[in-house]
Amino acid sequence: MKRAAKIPTGESTLGPFFPPRYVDAGANDLTLLEGRKAKGEAIEISGRVLQADGTPLENLVVEIWQADAAGIYRHPADPRQGQADPNFLGWGRSATDADGQYRFKTIRPGAVQGRAPHINFMIMYSGLMRILKTTLFFEDVPDPVLSAVPPGRKVLLVARKQGQNSFRFDIRLTGENETPFFDD
Amino acid sequence: MLSTLMKVDAFPTLVQPRDERTQPARIVAGYPQTPLRNPAQPLVRRSPTLSELTGPLDVARRVKLLGGDIAGHGERQAIGQLIHLKVRVMDEDGAPVGGAVVEMWQANAAGRYIHPNDDDHAPPDPNFYGAARLVTDESGTFELRTVKPGAYPVRLVTHPVRPATAWWRPPHVHFSVFGKVWLSRLVTQMYFAGEPLNALDPILNAVPDAAARERLVAQLVPPAAEPSDALVYEHQIVLRGRGATPAQP
Repeated sequence: MKRAAKIPTGESTLGPFFPPRYVDAGANDLTLLEGRKAKGEAIEISGRVLQADGTPLENLVVEIWQADAAGIYRHPADPRQGQADPNFLGWGRSATDADGQYRFKTIRPGAVQGRAPHINFMIMYSGLMRILKTTLFFEDVPDPVLSAVPPGRKVLLVARKQGQNSFRFDIRLTGENETPFFDD
Repeated sequence: MLSTLMKVDAFPTLVQPRDERTQPARIVAGYPQTPLRNPAQPLVRRSPTLSELTGPLDVARRVKLLGGDIAGHGERQAIGQLIHLKVRVMDEDGAPVGGAVVEMWQANAAGRYIHPNDDDHAPPDPNFYGAARLVTDESGTFELRTVKPGAYPVRLVTHPVRPATAWWRPPHVHFSVFGKVWLSRLVTQMYFAGEPLNALDPILNAVPDAAARERLVAQLVPPAAEPSDALVYEHQIVLRGRGATPAQP
């Protein structure tokens, strides 16, 4: 007997009461896993998240997912999974502070076949009825996901270098310079 | 720790666009934060690549799990109607998603959250924190002993001393679920059958399709021998994605 197709559950807002203990200490540091160091160039990524009127949003939840330094995903769909860095999980979570700032320490991802180096972002918050998904790039270089973005808005997905190993990626939920979000 | 790793048997996972009627509107009338926080520009269509069709499977190595009984025991029991939730997590093939990390949080029986954002409209319960972080078993199921949450007033911040209540949220439980791939990540809320506030809630009713709303409502099952001290509610959560080959028994 074939299983009947199921319809995905409706999303909803995170609401204003996401438990602070769910933003575990160290969950925003992808360079260490159970005390062991991941391979590659350690970088810091930070930015502010603002709503329409420019107000910074506090306790907003940001999650990231990325390949390791060699461009391998720690996941069975990646044919190179066997060579993935055992000390790199690829996932992290950060909550914004009173100034709307989030912060991650991570490893600069390698290029995945057919893609430019990038980091996937998710935004979850009160007033967001669905998760917002976007992607950070390090440069405006050919990439199938970046090319889907209207030319004038591509620059908003390219992180700004602000030091030796530090990048800034601000997220504007709506309004002027609205961050491009993906329909998925 | 192998036991915390999600089992993945059907790859690649296919993720297709959802039927919009089964998902909530982004801008909700009467919910003033929604127009301030949701994109005004059209969302950008992309074809999923390996990057979106992979995702974190071992989140439990990064975060701390918190037990499946949050109603307490002995001298430390939470006040309220004891309930036992049985929730099954599956994909669009109906195949169980085992090893999935699930985060839940809810108000206490009086409708109060333990959170700095909550005001003092209702009493905290010293024996109830209202959060659990669990992993689904091989059958995609997790079970949780808790108390039924109370209704909760949503405030409009227009008056500093006595903010007006915009509406009352019906009793609900929040879930955040990590699926097999990045695009199956889900944040949702579960409601309780028979609650009059369900029909009045702008958040539940932001989902246009009546059948899709009904699937957000947990069903009370007939009292059984076990557990003998709690009402049992069953619920299903369907994560996005299906195997390239449809699942067979």
